[in-house]
Amino acid sequence: MVVVDSLGLVLENEHLTVYIPVTNKAFVFRVKSRYNKGFERINYGPLPLPSGLPLGSYLGGTSAVPVTGVLPAYSYVMIGGEVSFPMSGAYDEKDMWYIPKDWRERLFHVILDVYPRWLRIDLTIPKGVVQRRFQRDKITLGIEKNFGFSRGRIETVHFPEIRYGYRFGNDTNLNVYTSAIITYGEYVVEIPRDAEMIFSILTRRYPSHWVTIPITSYDETIRRGLTETYGIEGFTVYPINKRSEALAEYNKLMKDIVSGV
Amino acid sequence: MVSELITFKGETDGTSTSGDFPLYSDLLFITGSAPFTAPTYITIPPGMKAKIWTKRISGDVETNVIIQFTKNISASPVVWIPLDVEKLASKGEITLEKRRPVVVRGILGTEAIKISWSQPTAGKAYVVVEIEFTDEE
Repeated sequence: MVVVDSLGLVLENEHLTVYIPVTNKAFVFRVKSRYNKGFERINYGPLPLPSGLPLGSYLGGTSAVPVTGVLPAYSYVMIGGEVSFPMSGAYDEKDMWYIPKDWRERLFHVILDVYPRWLRIDLTIPKGVVQRRFQRDKITLGIEKNFGFSRGRIETVHFPEIRYGYRFGNDTNLNVYTSAIITYGEYVVEIPRDAEMIFSILTRRYPSHWVTIPITSYDETIRRGLTETYGIEGFTVYPINKRSEALAEYNKLMKDIVSGV
Repeated sequence: MVSELITFKGETDGTSTSGDFPLYSDLLFITGSAPFTAPTYITIPPGMKAKIWTKRISGDVETNVIIQFTKNISASPVVWIPLDVEKLASKGEITLEKRRPVVVRGILGTEAIKISWSQPTAGKAYVVVEIEFTDEE
């Protein structure tokens, strides 16, 4: 059963599951409506790399963005310099994906395509906290390492009250003009208040679009952001043979979910 | 799968009988001042391939256009190995399209390609190549 359209966005009255690896918990949302149905694409223009932004270098040392949107050869956005996507008139004009906790009925599902396609991408959640790890926390990964990044595209869900930081890297000798095309869904969502339904979705017996948020380090900011927005930190993902345990937990959590979502 | 197809254009200086084409593209930020000069080679990101799909050569004089690769752009000296040669026999143009591409793999990220010219008599010549960067198998 298909729950996403050709853009990769969740259809109305279908479900979106946002999984958090470090806690083995997930949020299940029913997409009541897509607020931007029919206009899901943004030709954003150059990546938000402001002129003068200090950059790390794959060759050692540092460089800087020469002109807004240009990523020089062998350079990457460093931790601490992560960028957000500004938009004039947005709730936070410096970060178009940030919304506060009382906008909890809204959820942004974002698919970011960057050009040139070889550019490395990773996310810090919250901004400044690297979430790509290898062997528990043995090695921290990211665009400045040999792995722990994607090229050209990243899909994520922006939770309210939590700021995400984007990083980009160019591991060629070419100084390139960058650009971005964003496909997004501004969903009006609710959390189903049916423990049986939650269990069916989290055991993959009922269709849902799963997005894993690469959270491997559970920063206090994340915990606070989730509990202040939804009242819970998500539903534990149980194996199928733990039904009664799962339902007991989910029914208990239902009482904690704040109204409005 | 990630794929980026880029058109690069190069031009001889008209006075040297051999050299490497400085490359221009709409994607490249080039001011003419270091470090933002036109590149004479292109490195290939690790895990990706450079596929040269199309070559268009034109010029006023006989010109050999040579595609070369190196396994290590950081070596001193860099060892360049010819991989493909096209010959413009005399004044005119040739277009080579819809053939299997010339493929160079990026394994460590130190691999690079360049396009060179060689002429019996120095003159103006131009090359346009379509290079796809892709991570497909």
